[in-house]
Amino acid sequence: MLSHDVLIVGSGLAGLRAAYEVVGHLDVAVMTKVYPSRSHSGAAQGGVAAALANVDGDSIEAHTYDTVKGADFLGDQDSIEILCGDAPRTIIEMEHLGCAFSRTSENKIAQRAFGGHSFNRACYSADRTGHALLHTLFEQSMKLGGSLQVYSEWYVVRLVIEDGICRGVVAMDIKTGRLETFHAKTVMFGTGGYGRAFKITSNAYANTGDGIVAAYRAGVPLQDMEFVQYHPTGLYQHGILLSEAARGEGGYLLNGDEERFMQKYAPSKMELGPRDIVSRSEQTEINEGRGAWPKKDYVLLDLRHLGKDKIMEKLPQIYHLAKDFIGVDAITDPVPIQPTAHYSMGGIPTDNDCQVYLDENGARITGFFAAGECACVSVHGANRLGTNSLLEALVFGRRAGKKMLEATRETDWSPLNEKAELAAARLEIDELVHTKATESLADIREELKTTMTNQVGVYRNGDDMESAAEKITELQDRFTRVKVSDKGKNFNTNLIETLELSHMLEYSELIVAGALARKESRGAHSRTDYPKRDDENWMRHTMAFRQEDGGYELRYKPVKITRYQPEERKY
Amino acid sequence: MSLKYALFTGCVAKGAGRELMTATELVCRKLGIELVEMTDAACCGAGVISEDNEMVADIINARTFALAEERGLDIMNICITCQGVHRKCQVKLSSNPDYMSRVNAALKEQTGREYKGTVKIRHFGKILLEDYGLDKLRQAVTKPLSNINAGAFYGCYALRPHEYSDLENPDDPDEMERIIEALGAKPVKYPERLKCCGFPILMMNKRNSMALSGNAIKSAKDAGSDCVITQCPLCHLNMDAYQPEIDPDLNMPIVHIQQLIGLALGMSHDDLKMNTHIVRPTGAVASI
Amino acid sequence: MAQVTFRIFRFDPEKDKESRYQDYELELEPGITLLNSLNRIKSEQDSSLTYRMSCGSAICGSCAMRVNGHALLACKTQASGLVKDGVIQVDPLGNMEVLKDLVVDLEPFWKSLKQVDPWLQPDVSDNPENERLQTPEQFQRIDDATTCILCGACYSDCNVLGVDQEFLGPASLAKANRFIFDSRDAKTRDRIEFISEMNGVWDCTHCGECSTRCPTEAKPLARIMEVREAAMQAGVHNNNGARHALGFRETVGRSGRLNENYLPPRSVGFLNIPALIGLAPVGLRMFMRGKNPPIIHHSIDKADEVRKIFSKFEDYRHHPTRSSRPDDGASD
Repeated sequence: MLSHDVLIVGSGLAGLRAAYEVVGHLDVAVMTKVYPSRSHSGAAQGGVAAALANVDGDSIEAHTYDTVKGADFLGDQDSIEILCGDAPRTIIEMEHLGCAFSRTSENKIAQRAFGGHSFNRACYSADRTGHALLHTLFEQSMKLGGSLQVYSEWYVVRLVIEDGICRGVVAMDIKTGRLETFHAKTVMFGTGGYGRAFKITSNAYANTGDGIVAAYRAGVPLQDMEFVQYHPTGLYQHGILLSEAARGEGGYLLNGDEERFMQKYAPSKMELGPRDIVSRSEQTEINEGRGAWPKKDYVLLDLRHLGKDKIMEKLPQIYHLAKDFIGVDAITDPVPIQPTAHYSMGGIPTDNDCQVYLDENGARITGFFAAGECACVSVHGANRLGTNSLLEALVFGRRAGKKMLEATRETDWSPLNEKAELAAARLEIDELVHTKATESLADIREELKTTMTNQVGVYRNGDDMESAAEKITELQDRFTRVKVSDKGKNFNTNLIETLELSHMLEYSELIVAGALARKESRGAHSRTDYPKRDDENWMRHTMAFRQEDGGYELRYKPVKITRYQPEERKY
Repeated sequence: MSLKYALFTGCVAKGAGRELMTATELVCRKLGIELVEMTDAACCGAGVISEDNEMVADIINARTFALAEERGLDIMNICITCQGVHRKCQVKLSSNPDYMSRVNAALKEQTGREYKGTVKIRHFGKILLEDYGLDKLRQAVTKPLSNINAGAFYGCYALRPHEYSDLENPDDPDEMERIIEALGAKPVKYPERLKCCGFPILMMNKRNSMALSGNAIKSAKDAGSDCVITQCPLCHLNMDAYQPEIDPDLNMPIVHIQQLIGLALGMSHDDLKMNTHIVRPTGAVASI
Repeated sequence: MAQVTFRIFRFDPEKDKESRYQDYELELEPGITLLNSLNRIKSEQDSSLTYRMSCGSAICGSCAMRVNGHALLACKTQASGLVKDGVIQVDPLGNMEVLKDLVVDLEPFWKSLKQVDPWLQPDVSDNPENERLQTPEQFQRIDDATTCILCGACYSDCNVLGVDQEFLGPASLAKANRFIFDSRDAKTRDRIEFISEMNGVWDCTHCGECSTRCPTEAKPLARIMEVREAAMQAGVHNNNGARHALGFRETVGRSGRLNENYLPPRSVGFLNIPALIGLAPVGLRMFMRGKNPPIIHHSIDKADEVRKIFSKFEDYRHHPTRSSRPDDGASD
């Protein structure tokens, strides 16, 4: 058994930022199923929000209001105030740590427009902002050298919580297949989102909600799982993200008739409406037969009028993605796009110091924290504004670190039954590998993803989701007979993918359950059978609790309102 | 069509690799290719002057291009390093008009010359393929090298980075092999044929430099090659002059491609100064 | 749709004594990437096939591998362009040990990276309340170097690493460049001195593999050349590489042509007796064959023009930026 005072699972911005806070004071380790520089924070492109007011008269209040409104009033306003209030300090800190930001003519950090933000608020590093931030923290982790232990290519199999106290994890060394128990006074998850359950998604293959489900199986409720953001500019058929910066820099959205259709849906903000509204507008154009030739199942992102120099300077990654993946030259041709499952608003419920809630009444788990996309504080409510996710990971990663440092110092070791935990993990894996099995992993996964994209996508309705729920039950049953052909121990990606699929099946059920129960349309959750927002009944967070039999129970908790009363969202 | 070129000899063909100059002159004369030696052209810088000052290297090379343009001739290189350095400079200038005008301004100020951007710059081998033609070369062969297995060693500057290469597929080229075949010899494609010979770090890390050459020679030998054919006199120098220090048992003749052509055109080892090589022709190569 | 054979390197140390190639037939649908082809093979034919992948959008660097002998990023490469005689041969990255199939042990790569202190080291006395100022040009200066995704493609195909694992390697040198040219970094000279040592920036043969394989704008060779120029300018000359460059400048600047008798002793140092003795055997060999460079070094015609250009050496120091320089490497 290995032990650390603090074990952080996930090496993206939230995990690394938290580790940075704790290292040097306590024995801290970071565990990742990839390598730190390969975490999905690095895929964020367009920017990170902060009211630095480097280019216009922005304010923290404006950022706060924009975020509350963008969240369709489901965000907790006390948390949003923290997020936006701490943003300028956070960006300055990252700059001081070495992050290379694009600059204004006054040599300050450059800022550009982004959907749903009323000022030029997105600080950026060309169109690789997440990459620049992630590598900055990765560099700092190397600077820390031996004082920060990093377990790369380790995969968490179980989270151990007993009597409301978190005691550690069981994890697998992917290279050898060896299972190891990690005893910790404090565990933090920064394990990312769950978009991989969708066929068209911008998410990494790694984003299979492993942390979220490990917590859920250990008795932690999951909050607002039905809120999945569909990003308006996914590369056609690939789902790969083309940054909102493309529109921030002045790109147009065109339908098959080459009309800027956003004038019908968000006449004042046009292409810079919030993501939920723009994605729905695109889907409406496609559904009503105004998609682009030949199949009319996509719309167009037009950058041509920006010119080669601006595209290559401000949006080089977008240029290369379109060129390499679908062979479209964005300088001379519009790029085919479609909405793509992008961000998980829901996740592990936490307080403002990232300590995880045990129930809807505010009881907390001792020694368990979560931050970043896997967590639900909730600052994004029903719809996240672009550039607020990198910010959230940094702001709340730091807060988690600070609180963990304080709490862990006051905590004694709680016992962990290594033998029993290892045996349970071993059994789970052995059952998968050695059962006489017939079902194809790939088939189940494909059917799940198709179901989620087609029936639980941009537009939802009761009938489709009932049928999706049935399908998921069927797939869960078939999964009990799934075949793992690779019986080996070392680097068994066949086994890892099987474990990941079990997670996808488990949380997909909760996405559908939450969405079916929520009889309204709010933010990214848009039901054609309940097209209106219903504040009276539904301005509350969904909490899904796992039952002994593997089923779930939904409960609810109120949204925290400080300054901004709900109003109609117009852009 | 009369074939006439401005010959850029490079420094090595006038220094430690004079046999390359001899072989080039003999072969071109025999094939009816007229050469005008650019006696006033300066060293290409070999990517070393640019380590110190990139713009000076570019001005010097722009001067060379201007000298060829003044003569109304395209440039023939006989060293693939010169070729690669020239092409890189040319691509850099043509893709950046602003930089080109700064380079030209400096050139004009110091020499009164101007590079217009019209000259074509190719290596001997490419000219042979494109302008002379393999069919004609085949007809010119008087002594087919039918018992020779020849392994081509391309040299980095022929291949990488791709945008400066004039080979059709620099990741898997066959231009040298096609010439070898036209001479009646059997081309041997061996794993290390596109690797680096290590010459540029000879003065900085001799051990690594010789290891690179040694690996390439061994790879050719293991694949059954009787000789290694080079188109860069620096590769030749490293593989030939240092071979006794790398491994005296290798005993692998290193042959400039012009020399191999000369042999097929009926010239002797002495004509082609192959006896000045450190590794004397052995085996099948000696028997010609 | 074309039927293609994927010939894939297989090795599982648990089961196999030796590596082997396994063929998989696949109908290539138009537009399918190499990574998606592998995913189809893994899903439909052989779930034990092992490789790394994550983001699928060319930013995480996980899926670097070799195809037809050259490293690339599988997710951003169209499979159809890789077919050679009906076959796509897929191998793990080079210069690293294979753990299983296409997965290699990356530890040497990370270890090399850490050697260049890859983090910003600003002037500690300067701790402004707001951001450190940087001009757009200063940002541009490091923009290309910061695009590195640490995929290891350059490390895989680096010729020098193939014979010497102590070489810092292209990614680490590009990372050093990223900090050397960062206007906010205060350790520029220390960094230049460190990578001017043995196994550093002067040990690169500029074979061009790194830039050719690099899937981003990081293009290590271009970064290495920039660092060499910076080292020359900073006067960090006490090494063979810098002396070699100085010697080149001196001889070409005087006569327009390289003096091959002058350069080797100039490079190792005229007072470096052991190294000078080390040059003797090859000199003797060449002399015996009459292959030595002419004792009397001849200038080119009109060498005065060259001298004039060199006389303005410092005036012509050119600092390339993204806007004035074409990509130094493979098309991207």
